[in-house]
Amino acid sequence: MADKKWPGCAKSLKGVILDMCGVLYDSGEGDGVAIPGSVEAVRKLKTSDLQLRFCTNETQASREKFVAKLGRLGFDICVPEVFSPAPAVVAVLKERGLRPHLLVYDGLLPEFDTVDKTNPNCVVIGDAAEKFSYANLNDAFRVLIGLEKPLLFSLGQGRYYKETDGLKLDVGVYMKALEYACDLKAEVIGKPSPMFFQSVLNDMGLQPHEVLMIGDDLVNDVGGAQHCGMKGVQVRTGKYRPSDERHPTVATDGTVDNLAQAVDMILNQRN
Amino acid sequence: MACRKAVKAVLIDLSGTLHIEDTAVPGAQDALQRLRKAAVAVKFVTNTTKESKKNLLNRLQRLNFNVQEQEIFTSLSAARSLLVQKQHRPLLLVEDSALEDFSGIDTSEPNAVVVGLAPDHFNYQTLNKAFRMILSGAPLIAIHKARYYKRTDGLALGPGPFVTGLEYATDCKATVVGKPESTFFTQALSDVGCGPDEAVMIGDDARDDVGGAQNVGMLGILVRTGKYREGDENKINPPPHLTCNSFPDAVEHILMNLL
Repeated sequence: MADKKWPGCAKSLKGVILDMCGVLYDSGEGDGVAIPGSVEAVRKLKTSDLQLRFCTNETQASREKFVAKLGRLGFDICVPEVFSPAPAVVAVLKERGLRPHLLVYDGLLPEFDTVDKTNPNCVVIGDAAEKFSYANLNDAFRVLIGLEKPLLFSLGQGRYYKETDGLKLDVGVYMKALEYACDLKAEVIGKPSPMFFQSVLNDMGLQPHEVLMIGDDLVNDVGGAQHCGMKGVQVRTGKYRPSDERHPTVATDGTVDNLAQAVDMILNQRN
Repeated sequence: MACRKAVKAVLIDLSGTLHIEDTAVPGAQDALQRLRKAAVAVKFVTNTTKESKKNLLNRLQRLNFNVQEQEIFTSLSAARSLLVQKQHRPLLLVEDSALEDFSGIDTSEPNAVVVGLAPDHFNYQTLNKAFRMILSGAPLIAIHKARYYKRTDGLALGPGPFVTGLEYATDCKATVVGKPESTFFTQALSDVGCGPDEAVMIGDDARDDVGGAQNVGMLGILVRTGKYREGDENKINPPPHLTCNSFPDAVEHILMNLL
C-alpha cells in the first residue's frame, strides 16, 4: 500500500506542477526578485526523474516575454513547459470555431496572433489593468449583448493582487461586472478550472494521483489541484497568509516554508 | 385582481418611458395630459443618476411635458437622505451634472463610497481608490444597480456592473437606494399618501421598474420602448401586470380598466 500522506506520497510521484509568481519569484519593480533557493530547487527537479511543468494565471505578458523574464532571474525554464490561460483559451477558441473580442493587456496580444478576430462571437477578458476603462468595458459589453448566446471567457477570476504601490483590482472584478450586465456566467480559463489542470496532466501523460501541485494560493493552486485528484502543497511565500492554515474549506496535504524545502523533502523520499 | 382597490397613484419612469435622451416617446405628452384629468396622483420616479432634478425638469419641460419639480423623485434624493441620516462623508462617483443634488454635503476625508452612473469616473485608478476605501471599512452605497441603459449610440453599461464588481472584490454588500429597492417605491408613494395596493408603476425596465414595484404590492406595466428587449417580460416572476407598446397604451389601459 503506497503512502498517501505528504511527504511519504512523494515516493510514488511521477510529476510535479509548480505555480510561478510567489513560488519562484516575487513580482515588483522591473523583473521582480527570485525567492531564495527557488532557482536551485527548479534545477534539482529538472535533473530528477520527475516530470516538471509550470502553471500560472499570469496574463499581462506573452509566455515568451514571461519566460525571458524568469531566465533573467536565473531560472532554466522553456516556453512549452509553461501553462498559462492565454494559450489555453486560444485552444478552446480554435476547437469551437470562436472569434474573440479581446479585452486584455497589450503585452498579451501576441498570444492571439493566430486567432481570427473579425466579426467576434465571444469575448475574452484578462487582467487588463489600466485598459479597464469604461469605454473598453462598454465595447466588450456591446459585443456580448449583441450576441444571440453571449459567451464570455475570463482568464482567471482573481479579486485583487498586490503590487509595490498597493492593492489592485484583478480580472475577476470585471468578469463579475460583465456577468451581471449580461446576465450570464463566464467560463473561467486558468486555475482553479479543472479543465486547465487536466490539460497539464494530459501533456505529462500522467494520472492526477501521480502528480503534486506546489503553490502559494491556497484556493486556486492547492484547492484546485486537489479537486482534480492531485496532491496540493502550499509554500509560506508569496501571497501566503497564516490564516490559510485554518481555512474553512481547503486543507493542504502539506505546508512548507518555501519551494527549496518542498523539493528537498520530495527528493529525500525518493533516494 | 377582482378585489384590487381603484388606482390612486401612477408612478412613471422617465428615460426610456417618456423620452429617449432628447426625443419624446410619440404621443407621450398628450397621454400624460389625459392621465392628469383622471383622479390620480402622478409622480415621476427615476434612476437617471447622472442628472440633477433641475436638469430633468428642464428637459421634460423642453419636450413639452407638463411636470412640476416636486413631482420628481430620484435615486439621488434617496441617496442624499441616507448620507445625511448616517452622517457619511462620501467619495461621490457621480457625474458633475448630478453634484448639485449633493450641495452642502461634506466630502472632505471621505469615509463612504457612493456609486452612481459616472462613465468619467469608472476608470481603473478611481475604482482602485474606491476599492481600497471599502476594503478599509467604508460603506458602499449604490444609487441603483441597473445593468445598462440606452443611449442614442446604443446600449451602455449602467452602475450595476461596477457595484457588483466592487462587491466581489471586497466581499461586501452595497446598500442600494434607487429602484428596485422597496424603500424607494414606498418613499415615493408616501409623498402622495397612498398605499402600494392603490398604485401602478409604468417603466421600460422589467426588473427595476416593474419587478421592483410589484414586489412591494403595486401593479407594474412594462413598455416596449427605451431599453426594452424582446422577451424582457419573461425575466421576472410574477410577470408584468401588462406589457404594452408604449406609454400612451399604458395610460389607456389605466383609464379604461384600473380606475
